[in-house]
Amino acid sequence: MIIYITRRLLILIPMLVFISFLVYLGLEFTPGDAVSYMIPPELANQVSAEKLELMRESLGLNKSFMHRYWAWLTHAVRGDFGHSLSGGVAISEIVLDRLPATLELSAAALLISTIFGCLLGTYSALHRGTVGDSGLTVVGMLGVSIPEFFFGLVAILIFALKLNWLPVGGRLMPGFDSWFDHLPNIVLPALVLSLMMTAGVMRYSRSSMLDALNRDFIKTARSKGLPEWRINFLHGFRVALTPVVVLIGFRLPTLIGGSVIIEEVFQWPGVGAEFIEAVRGQDYPLVMMIALFSVFAMLLASLIVDVLTAWIDPRVRMGEK
Amino acid sequence: MSQSTLDRKFDRIRELEEAGRLGGTRGNRALRKMLNNPLALVGLVIFSIILLASIFAPWLTDHDPSKINLRAMLQEPSAEHWFGTDKTGRDVFARVLYGGRVSILVGLGSALLSAAVGVLIGCYAGYKGGWIDVVCLRISEVFMAFPQIILVLLLVSIVGQSLSNLIIIFVISGWGAMFRLSRARMLSLREEEYVQALRSFGVSTGRICYKHILPNALGPIMVNVTLTTAMFILAEAGLSFLGLGVPLNIPTWGNILNVAQDLRVLQNNWWMWLPVGMVISLFVLSVNFIGDGLRDSADPTQQG
Amino acid sequence: MSESSEMNDHDLALRVLNLKTYFYNDRRCNKAINGVSFDIHKGKTLCVVGESGCGKSVTASTIMQLLPTLSRIEEGEITYYSDDGEIRIDQLERNGEPMRAIRGSEIAMIFQDPMTALNPAYTVGFQIGEMLQYHTPLDKKQVRARTIELLSDMGIPLPEQRVDEYPHQYSGGMRQRAMIAMAMACNPKILIADEPTTALDVTIQAQIFELMDTLKREHGTAIMLITHDMGVVAELADDVAVMYMGNIVESGTVDDVLRTPAHPYTQALLDSIPVLGRGRGQKLKAIRGSTPDAYDRPIGCQFEPRCDHATAQCKSMPEEVGINISHRVRCWHYEEISRND
Repeated sequence: MIIYITRRLLILIPMLVFISFLVYLGLEFTPGDAVSYMIPPELANQVSAEKLELMRESLGLNKSFMHRYWAWLTHAVRGDFGHSLSGGVAISEIVLDRLPATLELSAAALLISTIFGCLLGTYSALHRGTVGDSGLTVVGMLGVSIPEFFFGLVAILIFALKLNWLPVGGRLMPGFDSWFDHLPNIVLPALVLSLMMTAGVMRYSRSSMLDALNRDFIKTARSKGLPEWRINFLHGFRVALTPVVVLIGFRLPTLIGGSVIIEEVFQWPGVGAEFIEAVRGQDYPLVMMIALFSVFAMLLASLIVDVLTAWIDPRVRMGEK
Repeated sequence: MSQSTLDRKFDRIRELEEAGRLGGTRGNRALRKMLNNPLALVGLVIFSIILLASIFAPWLTDHDPSKINLRAMLQEPSAEHWFGTDKTGRDVFARVLYGGRVSILVGLGSALLSAAVGVLIGCYAGYKGGWIDVVCLRISEVFMAFPQIILVLLLVSIVGQSLSNLIIIFVISGWGAMFRLSRARMLSLREEEYVQALRSFGVSTGRICYKHILPNALGPIMVNVTLTTAMFILAEAGLSFLGLGVPLNIPTWGNILNVAQDLRVLQNNWWMWLPVGMVISLFVLSVNFIGDGLRDSADPTQQG
Repeated sequence: MSESSEMNDHDLALRVLNLKTYFYNDRRCNKAINGVSFDIHKGKTLCVVGESGCGKSVTASTIMQLLPTLSRIEEGEITYYSDDGEIRIDQLERNGEPMRAIRGSEIAMIFQDPMTALNPAYTVGFQIGEMLQYHTPLDKKQVRARTIELLSDMGIPLPEQRVDEYPHQYSGGMRQRAMIAMAMACNPKILIADEPTTALDVTIQAQIFELMDTLKREHGTAIMLITHDMGVVAELADDVAVMYMGNIVESGTVDDVLRTPAHPYTQALLDSIPVLGRGRGQKLKAIRGSTPDAYDRPIGCQFEPRCDHATAQCKSMPEEVGINISHRVRCWHYEEISRND
């Protein structure tokens, strides 16, 4: 198991370096450089060309591409990811500052979609062909068809503006400090974010459950005279679980990207909202770093899921392939 | 289903069977399954309605979607303006119809293009194997290592916003999935005997790849195209909503929704954003229904 | 004691009378078993033999009420003779309490492929333990001890270790032994074995059958053995029932059926077995034609299209006739068949 994890990590690192190279290269094509952003437009013509060159030199901006990339890379490895163009704050600080909010939201959405998805999917499978099952199927299809941000807008309209049950946005209500008081704020964004994933998990767990219930060992379990609930859950659901976990793992990356728009809609102060602001503000270093960071998150997520899947299936855990 | 309902069904079938009235299947099985699937049919109908409405927009409304009329700002829906007017007096219904053209173009077009690119490369790489295959695989892995929206926004910030740019960016972000799919199919089909036979006859790689093997892989590819279309339409809507997709001067479904970022509009001017959102949802829903129907009818393991 | 006139009534474990099980799908009705009757006697082995698709597995599933949702018992009686009296299984609710009490503890079943029949996610000990947990008052420790004992009885080496292992860690033969251990855990009166060795090597086959025979002698278990192999029948059976397309065409003691077959199908089956020692030149008599489609059955006697003795009379289903007290056959022409042998 340890060997497996180490091997995967060893592949991950060159991949990240290569991608960082590509992204840095891509940013070469963007207009302007750090210097042109440091000078407000009104003063631009007042500053002489030599002065600009001197500034560039001091920042190392007139060196060759490879030189600059290498400099960036060596800094990055040490944890210095450069500075944001707007305000000059260290990027690592920005990301670390915003990260907890995004993790909180993603974790909540993951929890909701896993629990509800599995519950509803299993219910559907056990009541196959009934009105409830058909109804859930249609609701599920709606769930993957409605744009998440639109659903968010409607939710805000109904629950925040009209009914006033929940806050309109933001993570913290002014004046409230304890963690528990955050709860109303996270409800809507988490529910909306989990919409698509819940629908997916529900559909998949339904088919996985139906598959599992069709297998031979279910007949064996029944032939032992076990009660239905035990057959359905201990035998059926237990085996149906593995593919569902794999699916949730596959879909984990969509959470990492999917929170971007939702954070913006709900003014949730996470990494995603920061990314959007950076793109809008043409803050290229920040855009690049957040993009790289998200790649890292995705690769890490897929590694974690692979390890978990291997652990759940006794056959893989024991070393058999 | 309860036991008694089942019993009655069984009794009916048994009677018919004993009277010799059952048996014999005629016609194309796939087509029959598709037609028997009510959801797929509904999807097809809704899809066609929306698509045709967008194409025939000029016949359905005489309003110009870009015409500003400051005297008719923020009007509620009426006989004159079916979806009301927006902040600068433009007719919302017309914008939705014309916007549909662009949105569907972007969504469907990107899906078809990325499928074409992915399938072409996937088939070739899968069939040839060797270093070509490995290189293509690694490249696709690089692109697929990004969360889609982040990759798209990254590219948008590099190359700037425009309609054609967006389609190209979508294709770049989406070809990987189709590449993987067709490569996998190719890998399994290439070991089949008829391929060996073709090879021994000296048929060229290109011909074998595209003329003989590809048709066998079409089923899942078509299903995937419908799902990708749905995905791109939602993606364009989201990006344009944020103002980072299609430039705001071209109406698209997402662009129209852009105004809903303002809470006042959200609360007071429902006609400017609610109908558009519903149209998007309906359209994507219909595409999903069709995709589901295709998947069911192409699946040989399911009972008729 | 029942007042029946049948000679061997007092040692009956199970009686099946005119059983019909039909399968349904969206459009069709498949009469999988269409009027089947047989008896299982205590301490004896009944072999149900026939080609694939003849309905032997369906019969077993019907007795255990393990039929899929889209099927039902149309007609007939299944009577189980328990210690507390007669129980009409066909009248019990499929997954109700009384049926569940019978399953496992009174009538148990082992299946063809032990790899798929066991749940890959749980240890063998756990799965055997379930049986004991639900049918006996033993506590956890006792369950574990009894499980180890069972594994050892079935000839599995190092049972203390094996009890905590998963099915994929066992070899094919051991898995089947484990299944038998599971089935025998509560000492059932009847053991139904559905082609238990088809998925195993021939050498293992012999061991498994020996094991089953021993169990029969030691515990007095009635065994219903389903197989397609006439050789197995010759070795193990006390009674035989030959099935074809949903009907029992001939039944009786193993002597009756194998020495004096009265049905063309039985005879054809016996003729098609190669005999060791006769050499390469021996003529193998294959049965002409092929098994008809389940949905497109012949009218009347099901074997008629493939039978060399068929006449116009065979277009109607023959009645079951008793040749002697134990030997029954379903054929209009049984007298010529038995004379010719």
